[in-house]
Amino acid sequence: MPIVVDHGKETDGHATATSPTHLKALLRGRNLKGLALVPAIVIVGIVGSVTSPAFATPYNIFDNILAFSAALGVLVIAESILLIGGLIDLSLQSTVGFSVIVFCYLMGGGTSGGPGLGLPIEFAIPITLGVVVFIGLFNGFVVSVLKLNSFIVTLAMLILLQGLTLGLSNGQTYTNIPDFILFLGTGRVLGIPVQAVIFIAVFSVAGLFMSYWPTGRAIYAMGGSHAAAQAAGIKTGRLAIGLFVFGSLMAMFAGVLLLSQVASAPSTLGRNMIFTVFAAAVLGGIDLNGGRGTILGAALGVLLLAIIQNILILSSVPSFWIDAVYGAIIVAALTAGRLRTLRDVLIRRQHISS
Amino acid sequence: MNAPNFPAVRVNGVSKAFGRNRALDKVSLTIEKGSSLALLGRNGAGKSTLISIITGIHPPDAGTVEFGSRGRSAGVECVFQRSTLVPALTAAENIMLNNYPKRGGMVDWKRLSRRGRDILADWDCANIVDAPVETLAPVERKIIEICRALSRNPSVLLLDEPTAGLDFAGGQRLFKWIREARDRGVSLLYVSHHLEEIFEVCDQTTVLRDGRVVLDRALDGMSIRDLVEAMVGDARRAEQVSAPPAFAPRSLPVLTVESLTVDTRVSEIDLKVRQGECVGLAGLEGAGHMQVVQALCGLVPVASGSVVVDGRKLRRFDVAEGMKCGIGFIPEDRHEGGYVPEMSVAENATLPIMRRLRRSFGPVRQSLREREYARLGGEWSIKAASPRQPAGELSGGNQQKVVLARAMSTDPKAILLMNPTAGVDIAAKQSIYQTIKARAEVGKAVLIASSDDDDFSICHRVIVMVRGKIHKELVAPFSGHELAMAIQGE
Repeated sequence: MPIVVDHGKETDGHATATSPTHLKALLRGRNLKGLALVPAIVIVGIVGSVTSPAFATPYNIFDNILAFSAALGVLVIAESILLIGGLIDLSLQSTVGFSVIVFCYLMGGGTSGGPGLGLPIEFAIPITLGVVVFIGLFNGFVVSVLKLNSFIVTLAMLILLQGLTLGLSNGQTYTNIPDFILFLGTGRVLGIPVQAVIFIAVFSVAGLFMSYWPTGRAIYAMGGSHAAAQAAGIKTGRLAIGLFVFGSLMAMFAGVLLLSQVASAPSTLGRNMIFTVFAAAVLGGIDLNGGRGTILGAALGVLLLAIIQNILILSSVPSFWIDAVYGAIIVAALTAGRLRTLRDVLIRRQHISS
Repeated sequence: MNAPNFPAVRVNGVSKAFGRNRALDKVSLTIEKGSSLALLGRNGAGKSTLISIITGIHPPDAGTVEFGSRGRSAGVECVFQRSTLVPALTAAENIMLNNYPKRGGMVDWKRLSRRGRDILADWDCANIVDAPVETLAPVERKIIEICRALSRNPSVLLLDEPTAGLDFAGGQRLFKWIREARDRGVSLLYVSHHLEEIFEVCDQTTVLRDGRVVLDRALDGMSIRDLVEAMVGDARRAEQVSAPPAFAPRSLPVLTVESLTVDTRVSEIDLKVRQGECVGLAGLEGAGHMQVVQALCGLVPVASGSVVVDGRKLRRFDVAEGMKCGIGFIPEDRHEGGYVPEMSVAENATLPIMRRLRRSFGPVRQSLREREYARLGGEWSIKAASPRQPAGELSGGNQQKVVLARAMSTDPKAILLMNPTAGVDIAAKQSIYQTIKARAEVGKAVLIASSDDDDFSICHRVIVMVRGKIHKELVAPFSGHELAMAIQGE
């Protein structure tokens, strides 16, 4: 009994002694770090409203910006979680197109627009899922059991899957898209496009999961210090394989979202997406060395890129220039971020010496 | 051959203090040309400070260091324990790294290879000249480092624990080569904890204790016992080092290890730790005492043997399995596997038990985590600004306490500690000893593998290992002298 009383005292002592610092930490700590892009988004938003009257309308925000970022967002979540866990998967971009083409191929033939087997959808869905899970398992096995470098392995996988996609479809575009998928592209929930709802939902779920659920925290621990995670009893091999499978499934989901938007499946679906994915994740503060960054930050990274693209389109910048502007903005943002952390370090050093 | 009246190095009355801590007090030593001097002393005796002054990293507060007739510039070259070779480059390239022979601005590969062959021929290693370093045996890599150091033509060559990572045969080869080099006129400063090596390659010794020279003479006619005596000193020998917690010797064994074997480094170890007992595992580096504990923690999967914790037999050597059976441990180096720097102290301390800090499949509850941390942190008296401060921002001592708290979070029956007080200050050290003793008093079994003899002061028994086998068991009270002798294999 006296022990219990002691514990109570300990807790109370801690709480009273630390609550002001705790508040400060909350304001200045990592919670705020995730919001580092908010000022940039506000500035870009103001620029957008000034340059185009069509920018600050609910239709533009929900139907153009949010809904059209859903597929990118899903892929950014997958890559961010892998990066936080200290892994990398470049092949996600190919899985986007490959999973969709496999699905269309299984059901295809005849008037579908490309070659196929003509299987009913009850077979096509589980087979596609199996193929996608297998890709993740394979990546995970090679990286975490055979200990090959994940950059190289998934780069090879990216090329392989891209080739398989072209080979299977014969380079053609499928149009045999089931209605329920088309609904994802055109449907609305409470007047809001389904994809905008999906965008908000997936980021909320992923953000909460990574911050508060044990598996999410284990991923942070693994990326922050692999050895420490192992020493804490986390089964890092199994977790890594799980992350690759999760990544592949999310890539398939992103593929389905893209498919529903364009209502047809070209063999180039998802092509070049990985660059934007990395740009958004890195802008959002995801550390390529693992263990650092938040899903909220990554979401803001996606939003910033989407808003910039939206403004460029609204102000009818020739589409050939969009990538150049993108690249310039990313380089500028990264440099600014680095300069800010350098300044913080300098200020802290002065603090210590004085 | 040249001016024999100039010694290779002469250190005259060097003193050095760091703050109020007097590290060196009027230390003098001389290394004659073509001779080799063993610099000895326990951890903290001032060896590293003296080396840093000889190599010019720190200036002395008083006294001078002179190198032969050539002044400071041609001073000392060092070969440290940690390899500085580029693994994918050849032996010749590594020897002449950034000092390549050139022709017309380009690297002259022919001359590079020829010169490398000439240098290595002195060591009977001319055949490895074009082999990538990563394909070579450890002893050959050591030779390449030594060749590179010698190619810069120093007055004296410093070798720090050169046999670390070598097997017995490799060590013997190295000694033979070092003796031959000495005969060619190379002067050596040799630093090692393995006293028997000293007799293989050195002719002089200087022993430091508490920053002073306590012995400075030729090794002829001396024994390991004499050296240990000088290193440990009378004061320590008389001092009762041990103050373990009270303990009932008839209590039940908690940790029982039978015929534990870890690849080729540790063979057939049996040991028992009882309830409330603290047992130490001591040895020189490479003696296998660390590997035993690493294997028990599940960090070395190649182990075999039987381990029973509180009546439960480990089914395999695996961290998670060990935890389930009641093992809690801290790794050898807290920076490698101890904590996740970006994570809060509370989260680090409760990392193994986060699945318990929630309802069924819900989120981890901050309040439960912080309550658990308050208990663990209080037990180890961790000083952090708040439970949410990142562990990377804490002082070394407090980081170590976070790691200890994490080991304790699963409420283990057996506590396995590796270097529990490495790199922490005296106050933190005492506080850690207090808590370990308190844990033993409530019936935990504690096993400590350490390279710091102080850590054994809280042990009831110390098992000393030499070359992968149990050499001797010391039961408290034992003296620091007995322990040092046993560790040397006497």
